[in-house]
Amino acid sequence: MIMLDAIHFSYEGIYTALRGVSLQVDDGERVAIMGANGAGKTTLIKHMNGLLRPQSGKVFLDGRDTTSLSVAEMARTVGLVFQSPDHQLFLDSVYKEIAFGLRNLGLGDQEVEERCSKTMDTLGLKGLAERSPFALSGGERKRVALASVLVTEPKVLALDEPTIGQDAQQKEKLAELLMGLNQKGRTVIVVTHDIEFVIEHFPRTVAMANGKIVADGPTNSVLSSDRAIELCSLTYPQMTQAARALKHRFPQVTERLTSLAEMEETIMSILGGRRR
Amino acid sequence: MSFLEVFQYTRKDSAIHHLDPRAKMLLSIVCAAVSLVFTDIFPLLMIFFCLLPLIAVAKSLRRWGRSMKGLSILLVFVIVFNTLLSPGANPFSHSIALTIRLVDLMTSFSLFFLTVHPDQLSQALIQMHVKFEFAFAMSMAMRLVPTLAQEAYAIMDAQKARGVELDKGNPVKRIRNIIPIIVPLIIVSIRKALSIAESMESRGFGASKKRTYMDKLKFRKRDWAVVMISLTMLIFVTYVRLYVPLPDWLFWSLPF
Repeated sequence: MIMLDAIHFSYEGIYTALRGVSLQVDDGERVAIMGANGAGKTTLIKHMNGLLRPQSGKVFLDGRDTTSLSVAEMARTVGLVFQSPDHQLFLDSVYKEIAFGLRNLGLGDQEVEERCSKTMDTLGLKGLAERSPFALSGGERKRVALASVLVTEPKVLALDEPTIGQDAQQKEKLAELLMGLNQKGRTVIVVTHDIEFVIEHFPRTVAMANGKIVADGPTNSVLSSDRAIELCSLTYPQMTQAARALKHRFPQVTERLTSLAEMEETIMSILGGRRR
Repeated sequence: MSFLEVFQYTRKDSAIHHLDPRAKMLLSIVCAAVSLVFTDIFPLLMIFFCLLPLIAVAKSLRRWGRSMKGLSILLVFVIVFNTLLSPGANPFSHSIALTIRLVDLMTSFSLFFLTVHPDQLSQALIQMHVKFEFAFAMSMAMRLVPTLAQEAYAIMDAQKARGVELDKGNPVKRIRNIIPIIVPLIIVSIRKALSIAESMESRGFGASKKRTYMDKLKFRKRDWAVVMISLTMLIFVTYVRLYVPLPDWLFWSLPF
């Protein structure tokens, strides 16, 4: 469980990124953090593994005050995957890159090998094991960076913009992977602008604007609120737009439609009053 | 990385800032050259105490101090390694002198880089008949120092998140820890350079051979004065070093 208690952070006193943010994420949750550029999303998740320390307020991991914990200690619980893979890849083969974090943890050769090959399998990197990370495409590099964090099996996985630069199928695979990890009890937190990705896969959404949380709750209610959409500089999800269009003809349609399943149900009920 | 700040332009309103960049370039080079002429503690300290007021006039003492603090680890390294590896007599004294010399050199050049805007630098080079492409590359390099520093911080964050403990362990381990920072930094900079080159070419860089400039640098009286003083200083110091028998205390060194 991660608990942020009234966190305040400003960059060198010049730019205030967080103005008193409180957030609790329980074990096994899937949470999306959304917000306009500069809302403080990345700053927020950097507090979760101690890269940034709050200037006031406190961060608790599993009930423990993290003030005295080092980043390396917190990183065992919270794995953070950064936006740009180029900031962390530095070894000459994909395999070494993925094994690097495990060696930092001091694991034996056999366990390193097992975990690496498992992770490479799940991320479709098997064929690239001996390639240089720098010779890969952007999307592949991003998956290597993800693998290098995933392999340490942190309890909480926080991803900054994981869907950027991934094609639709890779995105689906990433979603599947995150769901799979979540089912095994991991907490998954993503920072993203990808509203459809959030709707499909994340039951809870935290909306941020100007360093504050402006809405926090079930995704479909947060993302159908005009205020949250406006403050996060988002556009309405396609399903909400479609629902609004339908509402002109069929007043029984609710506007608060976000997912494909809900839409299907509504259309079926309009057509025949029957549910599938 | 904070020691790089001393080579980063800061907008200030000072007498040094208003000098012509060419005059400042000469001043910096002369100061550096004079530091290279000596290898003993006292003369190098004297140069140091001549340079410090210049930094003060440029209103940059605080920034300079911060950079030197950042540099202190490197300076300790220089002292330790030189003391261990120097073959001559009094190795410790010698490495102290070399360290002061390094500080002198950095301070000399920082006098230039702290007070010259990248655009002024390229304009100065162009008016010294350096080809525009080279001048542009120079000012581009200066312009990218802060960007690279930011990149470096982002990389450190990313590696710390993977469990690299940058400030723990014995010195050997700490040096090894630089690898996960430096490799991505080099790669990111090369990628960045390539993409800057591409975006410049797609905006027509180099399309017209004849360039015109908005601002032209002009030498004024005070610039000439700086040039004269610098040259006189250089000639004087070189003459003194070569032909004047200097008193023994100037070459005093620590006994070990």
